[in-house]
Amino acid sequence: MRKIVIFLKVLPFIFIFGFLHYVLPQHDIARITSTEIIRMDFTTFNRLFYAQADSGNTEHSTRDVRLINTERKKTFLLGFIPRDAKGVMVYRNEDTGWIWPPYFKFDSSDLHAEAAAAISVTGNEQWVVITHYGWRNKFLTVFPNAIGIRQVSGPDVRIIPWFNIFFFIFVIVAFLFIRALWRQFRQRSVDPMLEDAGDVWDKVDGHADVAGAKARGVWQRLKAWLSTWSKK
Amino acid sequence: MNLIRLMVFGFLGLSVIYLTISFYSRSVRREKLENAWDENPPKGGDTDARDTYIETGMAEYETGFRKKLIWLVYVIPTISILVILYLTNSQ
Repeated sequence: MRKIVIFLKVLPFIFIFGFLHYVLPQHDIARITSTEIIRMDFTTFNRLFYAQADSGNTEHSTRDVRLINTERKKTFLLGFIPRDAKGVMVYRNEDTGWIWPPYFKFDSSDLHAEAAAAISVTGNEQWVVITHYGWRNKFLTVFPNAIGIRQVSGPDVRIIPWFNIFFFIFVIVAFLFIRALWRQFRQRSVDPMLEDAGDVWDKVDGHADVAGAKARGVWQRLKAWLSTWSKK
Repeated sequence: MNLIRLMVFGFLGLSVIYLTISFYSRSVRREKLENAWDENPPKGGDTDARDTYIETGMAEYETGFRKKLIWLVYVIPTISILVILYLTNSQ
């Protein structure tokens, strides 16, 4: 039982972490090996992990999706600790449009051209930093969405996630502000109301004491009557 | 169409934030005025004088610069959307 309670308490944090991990931008150091376009026939399971049709187009259940094939450096700990190992990663390249997630990306075609321009062969690698959000899932055929490509001199560049730093500072400030707001609201609006209610209650209580003395006889009789219902 | 949706719902959401903050700010201002009076009440000041003092202070706040700063609630998100829009789509 205790374990279930702990699990239920931890669960929201897991969801929040997963949500932020999906939506916030991350940076991969990779080299682009090719770009391609495949037709996706979405199902209800993986539709959620794709954006909508290109901005200005209409939505169908099936459409072409641009992909960027890369070889990227693997990392530890959310990308903060670089590793020597390399692996492949495939990014989709879709407009996020005006709504969600709020990257306001409309330049998928241009990004595709950029990616194609940065294709390099083994032995003459051109490294790029790919800003992206989202997850790769092989079972659902889900790809992270590439947001931007920036050319870098080598695979050992240091990346500072400025946006995420400011985002979390903003979250902390917003939290403190909401707390201050709530405290002010309680102190100025709720507590006086409760005090008033308390005064009323005291009055009621005073009356009740007088009435209680009278009622004691009644109360005793009621209790005696109630106890006849309990099992002997 | 999506842009209109963003504008409508963004406006509604920001309006909620705007109203909440202006309510909070007004409450803080009033509390400060009350405390300022209570800590150092002028001689011969009665409850009526206190009320006048507070209402004058609040009237000053309502036309003051601090209250106008709350409009930043609308301005900052709009600017950040434009900045993100530019950064994402420019090369």
